[in-house]
Amino acid sequence: MRAVVSVSLNGRAYQLEDDAHAALAEYLDAAGRALMGNPDQAEILADLEQAIADKLQRGLSPHKTVIVRGEIEQVIREMGPVDSDAGNGVPHDGVPPGGTARNGNTGSAGAQSPGTSGAAASKRLYQISDGALISGVCKGIAVYLDVDVTLVRMLFVVATILSGGLAVPVYVIMMFIVPYANTLEEHAAARGLPFNARVLVEQAKLKASQLADRAAQAAMSNHSRAARAQWKAEWRQARAQWRQEWLRGRAQWRAYRWSGAPAAPAAPAPHPSMPPLAHFISEVLGAALGLVAALVTLVWVFALLSLMTTGAVFNWMLPHLPLWAAVLGLIVLFQLVLWPLRAARHAMMPSFHGYPYPWHSLGDGLVVLLLVLFAVWYCIHHGDDLRQSVATLQQNVQPAWHQLLLAWQTLVHGTR
Amino acid sequence: MGDDSKLGALRKGFLEFLVLRIVSGSTVYAADILKKLEATDFATQEGTLYPLLSRLRREGLLDYRWQESDAGPPRKYYRLTAAGRQQLAEFGAYWARLNQTIESLGS
Repeated sequence: MRAVVSVSLNGRAYQLEDDAHAALAEYLDAAGRALMGNPDQAEILADLEQAIADKLQRGLSPHKTVIVRGEIEQVIREMGPVDSDAGNGVPHDGVPPGGTARNGNTGSAGAQSPGTSGAAASKRLYQISDGALISGVCKGIAVYLDVDVTLVRMLFVVATILSGGLAVPVYVIMMFIVPYANTLEEHAAARGLPFNARVLVEQAKLKASQLADRAAQAAMSNHSRAARAQWKAEWRQARAQWRQEWLRGRAQWRAYRWSGAPAAPAAPAPHPSMPPLAHFISEVLGAALGLVAALVTLVWVFALLSLMTTGAVFNWMLPHLPLWAAVLGLIVLFQLVLWPLRAARHAMMPSFHGYPYPWHSLGDGLVVLLLVLFAVWYCIHHGDDLRQSVATLQQNVQPAWHQLLLAWQTLVHGTR
Repeated sequence: MGDDSKLGALRKGFLEFLVLRIVSGSTVYAADILKKLEATDFATQEGTLYPLLSRLRREGLLDYRWQESDAGPPRKYYRLTAAGRQQLAEFGAYWARLNQTIESLGS
């Protein structure tokens, strides 16, 4: 014998076995919770009850008046979970620029889970591996800044050349620190768009075009495929050739830049006569400058790491600056500091060797690169110790700096 | 792994369009809409459809009137409003444009 519960569904009485009643109550409770905050909550619940009642009616007859748990479970399966978002028509105001904006309600039916819709879309820097050349850092930056990825890559190449390879470790650091955009929501966040139907439509568009592309390729006859392969091979060859030429040109240009003379392998000029004392001084000075440059580089790499991981440079919070701008500023600052050092060092080079030698600048670049790589490695493995020592250093330095500032101010005011 | 969820999310976005289209044909009640969708890729359940219908009504794209049924209690019969018709036309135009874009990109 089982207990029977009488319930009223939208004005009609039904008799349910007690466990059937429990299952139904649970479903309706969940529905009520899902519709929390929906202005039409009561009406939707009434509609749902009505639909359940209609379904239950099927299984009832004059000889069968009580509903069992199995029937309720079947009905609940047919009803499906109540989707709060489809009804939670919070209009997103952030209509993406350049789109064919209809009105505010574009995306209300698109979001997956409560919490992803409604909130203002926030932008984040992600790596995007779709269409990436290496890891997707440039692509992520391009998407973040809403510019063409080619532009970012070109800027990156320019930065690499200008910094003597320093941009490469920066890329590597970002590779490890910047997260990948994996889900649709993250892809949307990378663009700073609300996760809505428009984004999905655009992505579907892309996907469809890719599919069509693939289908077209598959449909191509063997002949045109061969032609395509040949064209590809030719293109690859041309690219390799172009690359070689570019490398050669670059090496020449570098040699020219460092030595101030054309890079044609000129016959080694004889050592200019130089007083031994002057020679010694310039060598010591050059070594000292190199050491200072290495130190600056080390500090810079650590500052970059600290910025990326904690959002602050050596515990100094940056004033409301987006991360990418802070990184850019840091790079520019580093180049500004390093530039006179490097110029001075290069000016001394001929005095070490007596004549300009194009390979020397290459070796120099290699040494700097190795140094930076070592600095990165050191910072990764001993980051915490370094951070602590820098923090204590900062504590010691800041009062001194303040005193210096004070002295300067009194000096300025005193002379006025 | 991503394909299914991507397409699922896409379907969800399109549901509004399809519901407006179904309602534009003739006045229907919720079960009719579900039946029409059932045969398609867009098979939907009450738990999704009812909140959607309620939102569309709140946005003024749909309205309904109660109509007696021969079996059981009166039902809500939905039809498009003028705003709904306009929205549907915009949807349709966008869809046509989208199709064109897809075609032109896939050659």
